[in-house]
Amino acid sequence: MDPFVAVVPAFLASAVEAVEALTIVLAVGVTRQWRSALYGVATGLAVLALIIAVFGTAIVLFVPIGALRLVIGSLLLIYGLQWTCKAILRAAGAKAKHDETQIYGALEGRLRQEAPVPEHGLDGVSFAVAFKGVLLEGLEVAFIVVTFGSSAGQLLPAAAGALVACLSVALIGVVVHRPLSRVPENGLKFVVGIMLITFGTFWAGEGIGIDWPTGDLTILMLVVAYASAGLVAIWLSRAMLETRRRRRGGAAAAFAAK
Amino acid sequence: MSYVRAFGAFLYDFLIGDAWELFVGPIVVLVVAWSLIQAGVAAVVVGVLMVVGVLMVVALNLFLALRGSI
Repeated sequence: MDPFVAVVPAFLASAVEAVEALTIVLAVGVTRQWRSALYGVATGLAVLALIIAVFGTAIVLFVPIGALRLVIGSLLLIYGLQWTCKAILRAAGAKAKHDETQIYGALEGRLRQEAPVPEHGLDGVSFAVAFKGVLLEGLEVAFIVVTFGSSAGQLLPAAAGALVACLSVALIGVVVHRPLSRVPENGLKFVVGIMLITFGTFWAGEGIGIDWPTGDLTILMLVVAYASAGLVAIWLSRAMLETRRRRRGGAAAAFAAK
Repeated sequence: MSYVRAFGAFLYDFLIGDAWELFVGPIVVLVVAWSLIQAGVAAVVVGVLMVVGVLMVVALNLFLALRGSI
């Protein structure tokens, strides 16, 4: 299978999560102490690398490919549906979009209420918040890298894709020195979600015994089918919300006129 | 014990979260697809039905979410 199969979703998912982690790290560094925040980031990244190395290698070495594809395909399907449905609801306006500037402001306010930064040595709050932020945002990426990488036999390219995305976002963060609120997070999440559902369907299907008649070309057909359905779902959800709002508005106006 | 409970809560949130149908739906789709394969239904038909099943799960989730959004 083409290495891009594992690299692209790992890169995109990692970029989205890295943007969210960058907001947390920036808020901690600016409000409290950069040194402790960066130690927190380094420790978080080390734990994530360990998780990917241990689970990825163990899965590749010890789990038979048939069982692997069924289990991982099912997990990708479940996880991909979560990402896609949330992205559809956000695009339709039924769910609030991620606003990095707003999240940054709220976190900054909370951090200022914490105990003052010690004059000497490390700041435990900065370390803990940065560590937790990187680890929690990164766990989703680790999951995608391990599942995609091991199923496609491309663990290293997937990990490399995720690393490149993290480094790119970090570099942009250093240059602009503020939250990256202009990154189209929701669009990226929609694309990653569609890829997860596509490969989830393909691999789980193979796992239960489906021999896809069109081979790897099926992946492209599934992407087109799911992406088209997703776009139609956004359009329908928007129309549905608009109709309901208008009805409510009309009913409220009629009530006020009485 | 509290670590186990915290890990359980994390796992629940990670896989199920606030939309149970997105966890149960794909499992039901796969069980039905597997049963059809065992019954000797052609792979291509099962594949198409699987995709339809996944899209029905999306529709169910959006319906439930939109119903409660306004």
